Amino acid sequence: MNIQILHSWLLEYLDTNASPAKIGEYLSLCGPSVEKIEKKGNDWLYDIEVTTNRVDMMSVYGIAREAAVILPQFGAKATLKPFHSIKSQFPKTSLPLTIKSNDKLVKRTMGVILTDIKNWKTPDWMKTRLEASGIRSLNAVIDITNYVMTEVGHPTHVFDYDLIKSHTLLIRESKKQEKVITLDNKVYTLPIGSIVIDDGTGTIIDLPGIMGTKNTVVNDDTKQVLFFIDNNDPIKIRKTSMTTGIRTVAATLNEKGVDAELARIAMLRGIELFQEVTGATLASKIYDHYSKPYTAKTITLSKSFIDERLGVEVSKNRVEQILTDLDFGVKWNKDNFTVSVPSIRAQDVAIAEDVVEEVARIYGYHNLPSELMTGKIPEPLSDAPFPFEIHTKRILQGLSGVETYTMSLVSGKEVDPKSALKIRNPLGSDNEYMRTSLAPSLMKAAKENNGEKDPFHLFEMANVYLPKKKDLPEEKMMLAGIFANTGFRHAKGIVESLLDQLHIEYVFEIEDAMYYVPNTRLKILSSKKEIGRFGQLENGGFYYYQFGIEDLRKIYKQMPTYVQIPKYPAQVEDITLKLHERIKVGDIIKTIYTNSSLVSSVELTDMYENAYTFRISYQDLEKTLTDKEVEEVRTKILGELKKKFGVTIK
Amino acid sequence: MREDIQTIKNEALAQIMEVTDPSELETLRIAYLGRNGKLNEVMRGIKDLEPEERREMGQTMNEVKGAIEQELIYRKESLKNNTTSTFDATVPGIKPQIGHLHLVTQAIEEITDVFKQIGFTRVRYPEVEWDWYAFGALNMEEGHPARDDWETFFMDTPTHKENGEMVLTPHTSSGQTREMKRLQTPPVRMINIAKCYRRQIDSRHLTMFHQFEGLVVDKGISIVHLKGTLDYFARNFFGPNRKTRIRPYHFQFTEPSFEVDITCGYCLGKGCKLCKEGWVELGGAGMVHPIVLKNGGIDPTKYSGFAFGWGVERTFTMKSELSIPDIRMTYSSDLRFLRQF
Repeated sequence: MNIQILHSWLLEYLDTNASPAKIGEYLSLCGPSVEKIEKKGNDWLYDIEVTTNRVDMMSVYGIAREAAVILPQFGAKATLKPFHSIKSQFPKTSLPLTIKSNDKLVKRTMGVILTDIKNWKTPDWMKTRLEASGIRSLNAVIDITNYVMTEVGHPTHVFDYDLIKSHTLLIRESKKQEKVITLDNKVYTLPIGSIVIDDGTGTIIDLPGIMGTKNTVVNDDTKQVLFFIDNNDPIKIRKTSMTTGIRTVAATLNEKGVDAELARIAMLRGIELFQEVTGATLASKIYDHYSKPYTAKTITLSKSFIDERLGVEVSKNRVEQILTDLDFGVKWNKDNFTVSVPSIRAQDVAIAEDVVEEVARIYGYHNLPSELMTGKIPEPLSDAPFPFEIHTKRILQGLSGVETYTMSLVSGKEVDPKSALKIRNPLGSDNEYMRTSLAPSLMKAAKENNGEKDPFHLFEMANVYLPKKKDLPEEKMMLAGIFANTGFRHAKGIVESLLDQLHIEYVFEIEDAMYYVPNTRLKILSSKKEIGRFGQLENGGFYYYQFGIEDLRKIYKQMPTYVQIPKYPAQVEDITLKLHERIKVGDIIKTIYTNSSLVSSVELTDMYENAYTFRISYQDLEKTLTDKEVEEVRTKILGELKKKFGVTIK
Repeated sequence: MREDIQTIKNEALAQIMEVTDPSELETLRIAYLGRNGKLNEVMRGIKDLEPEERREMGQTMNEVKGAIEQELIYRKESLKNNTTSTFDATVPGIKPQIGHLHLVTQAIEEITDVFKQIGFTRVRYPEVEWDWYAFGALNMEEGHPARDDWETFFMDTPTHKENGEMVLTPHTSSGQTREMKRLQTPPVRMINIAKCYRRQIDSRHLTMFHQFEGLVVDKGISIVHLKGTLDYFARNFFGPNRKTRIRPYHFQFTEPSFEVDITCGYCLGKGCKLCKEGWVELGGAGMVHPIVLKNGGIDPTKYSGFAFGWGVERTFTMKSELSIPDIRMTYSSDLRFLRQF
């Protein structure tokens, strides 16, 4: 959360000689992060990020308090100015007010009645400061509540006193289906158990800590006001605010737990402003219900704990100085000490590590040395998948593949909704399911490039998510690729080259399946186990392949087995065969290979109509084959081919 | 003798290639192939050899003669055409089609390499994760305002009794307690790189992105060690001139928590238009919260640690100063984009 405050406002509570730029720099190093400093006329505007645990800094006074400790660490002069002590005339008899509090819901309530409001116009200085902080100015009465909140850090509220006929505030939890009309004229149904203020008759007259209601809001006819401060249970405030979507500044502060001690300062500051700005007079005493005032929490730790976490030794004096500057109490017992936490920091300081943080940040993280740790190095993962994954990607890169990353979240059209994980709160119907295949994503990716006329090959390695009963899904790492503007043989050749380079033995088996052009889909098997598939997709006509990465990793070899280089030359010859239509080239090649151990390689070098030219190499590792020996093998092969497939020789 | 012949051959070929005037070729022809040429001179020794060797030597001699003659002819032709002076070397080369690894892959490799050198083990934990690992174990109970920072996707699946709802992990921090449990006893030096998801999308945020999470747990781990690790990464990943600094921040799962800045790549810390007074934000870090250690099964009174988790895409674009205007382009499959890297 961010807070914007003018430099001039900060100086009301901070006495310093540091420039706005320096204040910004020093605060960012040791405290809240000053994101921007902007010149505003003769003034400067700070835009400060305050982390959610430090709601105590969400005010002018809160920033001044931090600055007063941090700035002197850099040699700048800075002291915190106290709140003005006001001299108020409380009346002898108070206008009546009954507060029926509930300690489970609110920690503290404070109220005071003011009458005789003379001026409703907000003075310029107040308007300028509020608007710089991003708060719209309405009228003096409302603006005072926002001014006090921004300055002190505790949200405040104002009722039209006369609209609370019963003069009673009953704090209770909302019942089922209770409705309120907020001051901005919107109707909300409250979640059950919200904190509400009832006037004792069953009518809700406020949504405390979040927003006022229409039935008691100050208006043009208001004569007397009840200035009211409530310190509520943050968890309840958050639940109501999140459920109804009423995200006021007050709600975002209250849900983080505002210090109830601040209520008194806010009350006094409010009274001062009402008197000064509106000319109102007090019509009651301060009604204060605070059943369990803050008692300081304590944390005990050793100085060596601080030294160990910081990595340097900090003197006892320095530790004590830093903590007392921050309003912590310190009591030593030899090397141990007990820290008492001031109410303002009770929200975020609870354990020894929190104390370490306070000492370390004021000491200055920038003043700590920078060194690598020594000590033992853990055993690396024994069977890490990562080297194989990058190895495979590099092979594909070498085969002119272009790697892409596509979204894991897909539409219901890209999965079988019955067997895919669904997202309960998707951003849109395009990203509603966890994908179970990379194919639809890659098809989309290929189509995205339909302006491309040259061949291309896109590939991706990513998880698919296969649901399991009552457990996290299986996240299966897949490799898939898609080819466009190319032919079957070129695409298939790349898949073959990939497997060759991984030194995986494989065979193809034709097996038609949905989404593929008939007769083009191949199962890829290794040791009779399916490891992948390849084929032409009906949709778009792209060639597509996919493998389970773990299937490949289990059987790949980083290095092939060395094969003796033949000492004797091979005999190479081209044979052209005429094949009937139904004959598969793969079967011919397989038959040639399996017919003689002397055949060392068979390549298809040419295809023309039904004529196929094969280049056959004959090789004997022990000797040079004679023409006669080659002829014997050839005759045997051709005989077999004729018998099995009825081929003729051209 | 065979060696002599080879030497003569090499010498002849070298000389022929040097020739620029065609008349010199004739001189060389006589010097090597003529009746009293160098080859014939060597041939005179042939009669002293065994018949078998003699035949073999004769064959070699013929091959060499052929090669020299061939070269003489070729050189003569090329001098005649004078191709050397009209050859146009400005003609573009024909490039093979080359492949490309994605930016994110390149980034992950580089990041892994840097941390590997200081003993970090790369791991990868689930993307679809239990609420417990993503939030609960990290000291963020349900309804905690700190959860607002992580806009999370929830799965439409039944809630698990102990582990809570199934979510898409919004950060790699969910790997922290998983890694502690895997190793059981420190030392832990993890670098967890995985896909993460957040329910947001604009020109600076992606629904799907990658994070890398460093986690170190051991005896006596201090802020000094975190600073050392951050500086080591900055020097080795971004360049030797770069420095880091840490500033106070807040995360539920670290105490203290830090925001990490690095000196700006353009001005190197002097301050310029592209940075904040010389610094740019890198990401979050902190000392592991004792509750997180406890949830990971590690005794926080004996051990301490630090952690950091940053976006891969952001860190890499910062390094390379790619200035990609819209981070959503990272996940486009447009070849005109992919082929640039």
